[in-house]
Amino acid sequence: MINPQDLCTRARDLLASGEVRAVVGYRRGSRGMAAEPVVITKPEEAASLVWDPSCVHNLALYLVADRKRLAHLHQTPGKPIAIVAKGCDARALVVLMQENYFKREEVYILGVSCESTGVWDDQKLMQRLGCDSQSLTGGRFDGDDFVVTTATGEQRISAPECMADRCLECRHPFPTMNNVVLGEEKARTLAAPFAALSRFEEATGTQPARWAFWQRQFERCIRCFACRSVCPMCYCEECIVDSITFTVALDTTAAEKANRVRWIQRSATRSENIGYHMTRALHLAGRCIDCGECERVCPVHIPLRLLNNKLEKESREKFGYEPGVSIEIASLVSSFRDDDPNDFIR
Amino acid sequence: MMHEQQQTQTQYEPKIVAFLCKWCSSAGSDLAGVSRIQYPAHATPITVMCSGSVSPQYILSAFNKGADGVLVSGCHIGDCHYMEGNYLARRKLYLINEMLQFIGVEPTRFRMSWVSAAEGAKFANIVKDFVEDLRPLGPQDKLKAQHP
Amino acid sequence: MERMLAKEQIGDWIRTLRGWEVFGPVLQDGVWSYQPADTVQLDHPNTAQPPKGFAFPQREVFFTFEQIKGEPPRLTPVAPKGGQQVVFGVRPCDARGLPRMDRVFTETFDDVYYRTRRGSLAYVGLACNQPPSPHCFCKSVGGSPVSTEGLDVLMTDLGDRYLVAAVTATGEKLMQAAGDLLTEPTGVDRSEAGRLRLAAITHPQRAVNDVASVPPRLKKGFDSSLWEDLARPCISCGICTFLCPTCHCFDINDETNGSTPLKGSRVRTWDSCQFPDFTMHSSGHNPRETLGSRLRQRVCHKFQYFHENFGMFQCVGCGRCVAGCPVGIDIIAVVNQVAASAGEG
Repeated sequence: MINPQDLCTRARDLLASGEVRAVVGYRRGSRGMAAEPVVITKPEEAASLVWDPSCVHNLALYLVADRKRLAHLHQTPGKPIAIVAKGCDARALVVLMQENYFKREEVYILGVSCESTGVWDDQKLMQRLGCDSQSLTGGRFDGDDFVVTTATGEQRISAPECMADRCLECRHPFPTMNNVVLGEEKARTLAAPFAALSRFEEATGTQPARWAFWQRQFERCIRCFACRSVCPMCYCEECIVDSITFTVALDTTAAEKANRVRWIQRSATRSENIGYHMTRALHLAGRCIDCGECERVCPVHIPLRLLNNKLEKESREKFGYEPGVSIEIASLVSSFRDDDPNDFIR
Repeated sequence: MMHEQQQTQTQYEPKIVAFLCKWCSSAGSDLAGVSRIQYPAHATPITVMCSGSVSPQYILSAFNKGADGVLVSGCHIGDCHYMEGNYLARRKLYLINEMLQFIGVEPTRFRMSWVSAAEGAKFANIVKDFVEDLRPLGPQDKLKAQHP
Repeated sequence: MERMLAKEQIGDWIRTLRGWEVFGPVLQDGVWSYQPADTVQLDHPNTAQPPKGFAFPQREVFFTFEQIKGEPPRLTPVAPKGGQQVVFGVRPCDARGLPRMDRVFTETFDDVYYRTRRGSLAYVGLACNQPPSPHCFCKSVGGSPVSTEGLDVLMTDLGDRYLVAAVTATGEKLMQAAGDLLTEPTGVDRSEAGRLRLAAITHPQRAVNDVASVPPRLKKGFDSSLWEDLARPCISCGICTFLCPTCHCFDINDETNGSTPLKGSRVRTWDSCQFPDFTMHSSGHNPRETLGSRLRQRVCHKFQYFHENFGMFQCVGCGRCVAGCPVGIDIIAVVNQVAASAGEG
C-alpha cells in the first residue's frame, strides 16, 4: 500500500535537487475532499500533494499543456518535468512518446500503482454513502477497500462497489513505464475487459436499437468540448470543430476567410454532433488508452467510452494492436498486416 | 393514391459519393465509360490520389451533406501505386465501417472495393449493385445535416 | 394570490393550460432536463442545464439565404414561432437568470429573437426546501431558496400538496385556468409553508465572503498573479459557461447547405469565453491568450463588470459550474481568494 507521505518526500527531493523543474500531481481542492490537479515548482509545495481514490484525473494532459506553453514562448524544456502517473496515465505517456510528442528523458514518471483497486466514481460513491460531495471529508485506499470519512464517522466500503467502470475493466493498473514507482504490481480481475461494451452490444443487438440509443445520446450533446479538452491525446493545435481551423497569412483575403472549409458546423445538432464524436473516436483509434476521462467529465452523461472501447476492441481482435504498451511500435493506422480483414471489401 | 405511392417509390434515386483512387479505380470507371457499359448514373466520383488518403472525415462529411451511400475504391492489394496506401486504407476503413454500424447506420450505406484500371465491368457492377442495395433503404437521414 | 394544489392533481392543472406548451423536468439516461410533458413529478434535484435555452436557445436561425448566379442574394427572415411555453419545476436560482438575460438582450439592445421567445415564456418555480446541490450559494448573490424573481408562479412542496403562489399577472392567469383544482389555503397550510420557508432560508450554504466588497476588490485584483495560479488546471472546456443560467455569449456563422445555388442560413450559437479561440483575431493575435485571463473574464464579468453596469451580480449561485468543472475550479473559492488578496494590499 502506498503511503501518500512517500509521494510528497519523493516530489520534494526531486525539486530540491533540481532534477526536475516541476511536478504535476494532485492536491486537495475546495470541493469536499476531492483532489484536483496541481503543478508545483518549489520543494516546500510538495507537502500539499495527495494520493487517494479521488485522484481521478489523467495528468498526462498537463504535460501536453506544458509543452504547448513552452513552444508558444519559444522556450526549450531544459530539465525534465515530473508527473504522478497511475497505470492509465503512464499508458497515455507511452502513446505521446510513441508519437514523439516528447522524449522519454524529458519526463520523470513518478508512478503510483492502483494495486488491487482504482479511483472511485464520484456518483457511485455518493449514491452508496447517501451524502453529497461536500460532506465527504476524507478518503483513502486500504487494501481492497476504500475508507471514507463523513459526518457519521469513518466507514469501510468494498472498492469495486464504488469504483469507476474504467477502473473495474482496467488491465494495467500498474505504471510499467516509470522512473520510480510507489506501490506494488498486483494481479486482479474485477470485471471482464470491455464489460460495459459487451453489456451494451448485447442490450442493443439490432441496427435500429443501436440507432435509437445513439440518436438520443448525440442529440443531447451540448458541444462544450470537455471530452476533447480533457483528453491528453486531443493535442491537435487546430481541431476540425474550431472556428480557427484555417491558416491566416498576410495575403489571406476576406473571401478566403469567409469561405473556409467547415467540416463540422458550430450548431449542436445531431448531424454535427455525430460528425464531431465519430471523428474524435476515429482519431483516437489505437491511441485511446481508456482512461475514461471523456466519459467522466461529460455534463450530459454521454457514454463516450463505448465509442473508444469499440475501436480498441476491434483493433485488438482484428489487428492485434494494443495502445500504450510500447514506445517503439508503429501506430495502429500507420501500420498493417497482410492478413488484415479483407472480406468487407468487394 | 396507390399509384402515387408507387411512383414516389420508383422516383427515389440514391445518391452515391464515390472516392476513387487516381491510378486504378478512377481509370476503371473511365474504362467503363469508354467501353460504353451501361450503369446507373447515381455515383458522383471524386478522384483521390490514393485510397489511403481517404480520411474518415471525407466519408462522414459526404453523409453529412446528404449522400445515401459512400463508396471508396482503390487498387487491388499489392497493386498500390504508392506500394502500401491501400493496406493503410483497408485498416482505416475497416474501423470506420465498424463504427458506422456500431452507432446504428445501415451496413449497406458504406462500401469499399478494389477495382483495377482494367476492371471497367467490375466497376459498373459495383455501382449497379450498390444502387440496388440502397434503393430499399430510402434516403439517408441519420447523418445528414437537417439544417434549414 | 395563494392557493393549494393536491400533488396528484398537478397533471389535471397542466391539462387546463390550453394553448400552452408545457415542459417539466424529466430524468433520461441519468440526466435531468426539461422536456415536453403532460404531467410532471417535481422530485428533481436540479436539471443538468438551466432553462435558459427556452429564451436563448443554443442555436437560433436568423434568416436563410440563397444566391442564384447573376442575381442578388435573397434573404428570408426566420422568426421564432412564439408559441406560449410554460416550464414547471424551475428552481429559484435559475429563474433569477432570466431578468439578468433581459438586461443584455432587451435593455441595451433589443434582440427580437430573445424578446419574442421571452415574451411567451412562463416559469412555474419550485422552492428549494432542501438545497439541491452541495454547491448551492444563492444566498450569497442576493437570491434565496424561496426567491420569486424571474418566476411567474412559485410552488412550495408541503409533502402531499403544493402551496401555489402567483408572482406575475401571467402567473395569475395560469392559476385561474385551474379553476376549482386550486383551493384556498388553510391556516395550517400557511403556517406549514412558513415553517418550511424559514428552514430553507436558514439552511447552511457555501458562501462568498463579504459579497458587497467583491466588485471593488476584484477591480483592484485585476493584475493579481492569483488568476494564473488558480486557472492553471483549467482545460478550457465550455462546461462552466454552457451550464450557466446567465452566460449569454454567442457566435454567428453562415451555414451553407448547397453550393449550386449557394444557399444556407445564418445562425447564432452559444459560445464560451473559456474556449481559447473565443477572442482569437483573424490576424492570429489573441488578447485573452492565457488561462488566467480567461478565468478572470468569466469571474469578473459575473462579479464585477455586470455589477458595475446593472447593479446586480451576473451569478445566481446555482453551483453548476462548481459541480461540473472537470478539474475542480470553484468560482466561490476563486472569488474569495482573489477578493481576500486584494483586500490585504
